[in-house]
Amino acid sequence: MTTVESLVDMRDITLTFGGVVKALRGVSFDLRPGEVHALLGQNGAGKSTLIKVLSGVNQRDGGSVLVHGEETNFRSAQDSQAAGIAMVYQDLSLVPSMSVADNLFLGREPHDRLSLVRGRRLHAAAQKYLDEQGFPIKAAAAVASLPFAYRQLTEIAKALMGDIRILVLDEPTSALSAGEEDILFDAVKEVTRRGVGVVYVTHRLREVFRISDRVTVLRDGLNAGTFDTPEITMETLISAIVGPGHAKMAQATLSLEEGERRQGFSDPEHQSLTAAPVIELRDVTNDRLRGVDLKVRPGEILGLAGMVGSGRTEVLETMFGLRRAAEGQVIYQGAEVKWKSSAAAIKAGVALVPEDRHLQGLVLGDSIAANTALPQLRGLTRFGFFAKGEAGKRATSALKELNVKAPGISTRLQNLSGGNQQKVVFGKWLVPEPKLLLLDEPTVGVDVGARDEIYGIIRRFAQRGCAVVVVSSDLVELQMLCDTLAIINDGQVTTTAHTSEVQGEEALQHLVQESAR
Amino acid sequence: MTTTLTGPPAVAAPRRNPVRQILASDKPYAVFLALVALIIFFSIKSPYFFAADNFANIGRQTTLVTVISVGMTFVIIAAEIDLSVASILKLSGVCAALFMANFADNWILGVIVGLVVGALIGLVNGLLVTKLGIPSFLVTLGMLGVAKGLAFVFTDTAPVLMDNQTFFSVFYEGSILGIPMPIIWSIIVLVGGGLLLHYSTFGRKVYATGGNAMAARYSGINTARVKMICFVLTGALAALAALIFAAQGHASRPDFADGLELDVIAAVILGGTSLFGGRGTIIGTLIGSLIIGVLNNGLVIIGVSSSWQIAVKGAIIILAVAFSKRN
Repeated sequence: MTTVESLVDMRDITLTFGGVVKALRGVSFDLRPGEVHALLGQNGAGKSTLIKVLSGVNQRDGGSVLVHGEETNFRSAQDSQAAGIAMVYQDLSLVPSMSVADNLFLGREPHDRLSLVRGRRLHAAAQKYLDEQGFPIKAAAAVASLPFAYRQLTEIAKALMGDIRILVLDEPTSALSAGEEDILFDAVKEVTRRGVGVVYVTHRLREVFRISDRVTVLRDGLNAGTFDTPEITMETLISAIVGPGHAKMAQATLSLEEGERRQGFSDPEHQSLTAAPVIELRDVTNDRLRGVDLKVRPGEILGLAGMVGSGRTEVLETMFGLRRAAEGQVIYQGAEVKWKSSAAAIKAGVALVPEDRHLQGLVLGDSIAANTALPQLRGLTRFGFFAKGEAGKRATSALKELNVKAPGISTRLQNLSGGNQQKVVFGKWLVPEPKLLLLDEPTVGVDVGARDEIYGIIRRFAQRGCAVVVVSSDLVELQMLCDTLAIINDGQVTTTAHTSEVQGEEALQHLVQESAR
Repeated sequence: MTTTLTGPPAVAAPRRNPVRQILASDKPYAVFLALVALIIFFSIKSPYFFAADNFANIGRQTTLVTVISVGMTFVIIAAEIDLSVASILKLSGVCAALFMANFADNWILGVIVGLVVGALIGLVNGLLVTKLGIPSFLVTLGMLGVAKGLAFVFTDTAPVLMDNQTFFSVFYEGSILGIPMPIIWSIIVLVGGGLLLHYSTFGRKVYATGGNAMAARYSGINTARVKMICFVLTGALAALAALIFAAQGHASRPDFADGLELDVIAAVILGGTSLFGGRGTIIGTLIGSLIIGVLNNGLVIIGVSSSWQIAVKGAIIILAVAFSKRN
């Protein structure tokens, strides 16, 4: 038994989704008054599920949850809130057009018998609360006009109104800049001083060392260790997160052909590296990037690693004409380009497989043929009419080449699995072949078998001389797939390396964490 | 903690060009300037425009738009729309007149019938939008036809004549302290709407519902009920407008007020209410409906043909929305 009474004591929590997926396999976690307890783990390790169990969004199958020493069984977020637990999600619970004060009191405004609200009194009450709790926010400010960190603080301030003893922050800094983080951390420290316990979910190890008192690492739905933060090193944390056995996966054997292609990019004398780049960013600066220098040569697969919000997606968007370079140059095939839209980039031979295929990649209610024809409608127009026959031919050959498992080209996308949907996204860019292929999280939501096939598709593009840029949060994936790697942080390229120079996922994880603040 | 002392730098408003500040402000300064400009323009163009009599005219002529646009402001702030207001006006006016003509020549009962019919149609709109999840654009577009058709059916397409002097005085012909009754009614609705929107807990729920429905629900607000009340309110105010109109013409006509919903929506949007919900003020709506009223009146006085009036009003609405989007 712990000496200090824990605010939260979760023991041997198990949870299975749909009778199949074991999200939690006996996880324990406790939170003491006035501490910041960081919760770490890779995607799918069970962090989010665990805090959802705590907040009552998900119900556990087994184990016990004690809050303030009492056994609880929350059925909803309202239940847990009543027990003094506040969850802060990203920018979810604020009305941007209303003031901070209005938001704080939303749904619980102090009012008179006619249910009239005195605006001035409300603002004064809100300001008093903010000042007392040490939140540096003006109650009268409109939420929409606040920088992101202050919105986040408002969110926390709102969550803490009432008798809240337990605060859960889910990746609170992923959209914040460096200065903004300090504001948030100050507020968190202030809150713990009053005895509130904070569960801090994050991917950023630096933050763990900066702000937390203890760390719990989850891996594959199990505890991988709980540590007192001052007593551990980043190495310990990374190996706890990554776990044994993962290091080998990254060294997956490449085919002879592939190995040679990759080898070419490690030798500065080799023609792979002396060839003129397909695209080059020279000191590119815009609202999200700061002086990015990058080159991608024909046949090269470049991997961009970095945290969510680091600017890696923005690099792709800049290469795709969705963002312009305010300063610096974008050189494409030897000439400076100033694309005004993605249409110009597509016309020049750039293709993008976006992060969210449902939102940005596919028309789900439409057929495979209609989807693959989408980027090439101009080329598929004959005398002003859509060349349905030609589009069908292209779709059929795309199905075959990409090994899409579907009854036929008229199958609607919504009836395909995630992996096959993603293959169809690639099918959009087969004819004419792109010179530069940009991939944002190409295997999210794709099952393992289809994943390998997608890697094969990407490699075939590279073998035919297409330059490829891959953004992925899955570091193992980057190491398997990419010839060269660039680490992005806060809109800058911090490191570039040939994949062979970075041995194992731990080393790459280290690079990413080192560069993040 | 030191940060409390310094305060957030970003929250202090940066000093900007005052003209831009007025144009970009949340408060309806810009439309107010536009109203003043219009008044000056028409006054220069015609000696008859700038006169107390004519202003009273404008007030009376604007009553219908003003009264309904107060309700519409609630609906639009809640991120919905009501295209059926003109038809609600027809049907509720016709029902009130038929009741007084055929059942009891009691103006109070007639008024209650009219208001209840209006509120009920609003309730049906609200129920269809919130319970069945049909977009309000479609629900109220359909209701526009249904209510209008019923008004024709009930009256056999003929005006229903009325003959109750008290009714006429209360809603149109009387005056208090020399102020004509339609203007009195406008003021009552504006003040009541302003209190409800800006000073009541309900008003905050409306803003939250339209500004971020998810956040509103997470804060324990029943957004479906909020929207329903907005539709009911608008229906009842359309019925009130029907009563005022009936008192003016001594009859309820099923063929009147076609296209009034466009003037109403234009007034609300001109007044700075966001079509996307979450923003808007009653004072803005008043200024917006005065602009519509001044335009209607002024264009006639300076002799612009009615065909051109329609086109000019349409163009002004597009300009206003384009302008508000740019900010």
